[in-house]
Amino acid sequence: MDVNRKCSCGCGSMSKSVREYHVGNGELTLADLPIGRSAKVAKLIPNLRSIKKFADIGIIAGTEMAMEAHAPFGGLLRVRFMGTSIALHRDDAENIILEPLESL
Amino acid sequence: MKKYFTVALAGNPNCGKTSIFNALTGSRQHVGNYPGVTVESKSGKFMLNDMEIKLIDLPGVYSLSSSSPEEDVVFQELMKKGIDLILNVVDSTIPQRSLYLTTQLAELHIPMMLVFNMSDDAEHKGLKFNIPKLEHYFGCPIVQTIGNKSGGVQKLLATLAKTLETLDSHGVPMLTYGADIDDAINAIADKIDALNIEKYQHIPARFFAIKLLEHDTSAMRLDEFKPVHDEVEKQIQHLKAKHAINQATTFMADRRYAMLSGACRDSISFTRERRQEISDKIDMVMTNKYFGLPLFFLIIYLTFWFTFVLADPLMGYIESGFGMLSDFVKSMWPESNMPYLRSLLTDGVIGGVGGVLVFLPNILFLFFAIAILEDSGYMARAAFVMDGIMRRFGLQGRSFVPLILGFGCTVPAIMATRCIESERDRTTTIMVLPLMSCGARLPIYALIIPAFFADNYQAFMMWLIYLIGVIVALIAARIMKSTIFSGEGEVYLMELPPYRMPTIKSLLLHMWDRGKMYVHKAGTIILATSIILYICNTWPEKEVFSKDYDAAIAQAESDLALTDSQIYLLETAGVLEQDSIAEIKKSRTLSEEDVAKLEENELSDIQKRIIASAQEYGDTVTKLENERQAEMMEYTISGRVGQALAPIFKPIGFDWKLTTASIGALAAKEVFVSQLGILYAEGETNEESVPLRQHLRENYTPLQGFCIMLFCLLSIPCLATLAIIKRELNSWKMPLIEAGGLFILAYITTLIVYQIGSLLQIGTKML
Repeated sequence: MDVNRKCSCGCGSMSKSVREYHVGNGELTLADLPIGRSAKVAKLIPNLRSIKKFADIGIIAGTEMAMEAHAPFGGLLRVRFMGTSIALHRDDAENIILEPLESL
Repeated sequence: MKKYFTVALAGNPNCGKTSIFNALTGSRQHVGNYPGVTVESKSGKFMLNDMEIKLIDLPGVYSLSSSSPEEDVVFQELMKKGIDLILNVVDSTIPQRSLYLTTQLAELHIPMMLVFNMSDDAEHKGLKFNIPKLEHYFGCPIVQTIGNKSGGVQKLLATLAKTLETLDSHGVPMLTYGADIDDAINAIADKIDALNIEKYQHIPARFFAIKLLEHDTSAMRLDEFKPVHDEVEKQIQHLKAKHAINQATTFMADRRYAMLSGACRDSISFTRERRQEISDKIDMVMTNKYFGLPLFFLIIYLTFWFTFVLADPLMGYIESGFGMLSDFVKSMWPESNMPYLRSLLTDGVIGGVGGVLVFLPNILFLFFAIAILEDSGYMARAAFVMDGIMRRFGLQGRSFVPLILGFGCTVPAIMATRCIESERDRTTTIMVLPLMSCGARLPIYALIIPAFFADNYQAFMMWLIYLIGVIVALIAARIMKSTIFSGEGEVYLMELPPYRMPTIKSLLLHMWDRGKMYVHKAGTIILATSIILYICNTWPEKEVFSKDYDAAIAQAESDLALTDSQIYLLETAGVLEQDSIAEIKKSRTLSEEDVAKLEENELSDIQKRIIASAQEYGDTVTKLENERQAEMMEYTISGRVGQALAPIFKPIGFDWKLTTASIGALAAKEVFVSQLGILYAEGETNEESVPLRQHLRENYTPLQGFCIMLFCLLSIPCLATLAIIKRELNSWKMPLIEAGGLFILAYITTLIVYQIGSLLQIGTKML
């Protein structure tokens, strides 16, 4: 469905009509991964902007992602995979679906 | 045998490519920009045995497509004919991700050589490489190096020489994407071969077939391949239907990584479990949710301290150096010989260029500090912790450091925006940067604030002015981001490389690269404006004055100058030194030191009279000379322009003198104070001059004073800023928009403040 939503950069403006996908309940996204935990990527939702850029850097199905930290006041997440740390935006991380975590 | 070779240096960002480039080419580098984009291009030459090698340092990229200006540049460069060898630098601590680019480079079938950099770190991490196996797989020689240590470079050079000598028998990589995809690639490649495109004969069809298959914009937009687009779509549909492969844009990435993990499993072994590295321990604190920001502010403070406090003594040396140079020229060039050219050279050129070069130590220290932050890897962390706050204003974390630097000087701050990858964010940051009140505006505030505001309000006014600048900048950024630069921002994906100890050599190279540009600017634009302004301020020369100043001065001399008997009286008092007496005999008046010395003792009436007379004489002559200078100023181009434009500036509370000073201040804001000083006939003035403040108090209201500061704060800081905007954004349009936009902003804001202030009678009473 098409909805108007606030611009992701936090500037407060309403961005153009965006296609919003609702993923099934209970699916774990990278944005939900708690600090200190890791999980494998299950898939990338096509809604992800510049999806190829994420794939090129190594975020593809099967990559193990570990959540390292959250930045103060906001949107950035720091994840480690393939031996390096990458900062990415929470909005983008929401489009990266992970395989379910085994409960501790 | 061939003697000249072109070698392209490719690799991921942060793979140590630059240090290898520096180690190979030394100082024989050419740094510039790729046309149309702000990506820095670097090339250098070096001799190897009897071969001359041109090394092109390509920007660091993760992939060979077109998702960033850098990737675009790399793609374009590699498409060119004439590259003999690709030197691909691989960070061997993260082989899997670094080799991703290699798989794409290999498809070009340009001879390649792999440099496994940072092999000491890799060994430390427990990685072991089966080099012959990897060489066979990628069809090219591999050399292991350790950062920029000379031992590694020797080995690198030896392998490079051998590779170049045997280019004809270079191997071919054995990369396969699996039968299903290889079939599709071959089908498309056959169609491309059939097209027989002259322009791309030197690149295998397979390379383009792969790029088209993954819908890569770099290949999709090439008109030459339009005829095969149907075939591409057919193959993609086929893959989707038959092999359940879904996303066209990412399945090639999936396959490449799969291919690599296969290759790595065969030839790279991990002997140790990954453990927490020192770098991660530092980051536990540095990017901590609570400590991250305070630490960031501390580091920024230290950078400032380093830049402004430590560079200060050096500035003094440069200043006195230019003073000496000017005096030297004056002493060598007799005043009778072309006096106009003489003062143009000493006061205009040496004074103007010297005034700018004085800031060179600041600039160099600042860039040294920034180089430490960048090379150590901290800059990425700074952007990470600041992003949340900056994003609220439509900017991003990386914008913060340049904005802070803007308080020092806008020019280096604009240069520092190069770390912002997103073109729109970078442009926005550059456009609002001049609103951060720079050091050159400080003299204006230092002149105006004490003139109009009571002691206990002065600090507040200063703070208010800076705050207005910051607030306007943030509002402007937000407005720009929601209008001309609107739309969803580019994807933010930033690597946080491990902390590394920067080497002095690379720090100095970094510093000099940027410092050079500043010197260049002083030698070109500043030189030109200094000459123009000097001419505008002195030409045309007024010949006929409203009164005969020479006669008036002569009159004052005969009326007030000290007589021989008066000087004899002072001499016999024995207070003054023999040298001072000799001086007095020449000047016929008393210097301030003389007066102070005399006043140390009880003065007799006659001495008091002598002092009063001498002071009156001095004052009268100064006053007359200043009046003459003001009249001359009014007659010059600057004065005439000021008077012509005065009606436009009247609504914001400016008279013609302020207008003239503002125009002069276009070249550099510091000029405002000295121009105003000349106009108010106090001779060359600096911000400390109390009489100029007196003049201001007598002629303007506090509201006007505030409006002067506001206007100076919001208008363009200096011509150099415009020149650097032109350079960095590669367009003439942007600096013109910037200058016009800031003028309108400054004019309208000042107009509103002045008119509302006048209406409500705030600060409209003369003091």
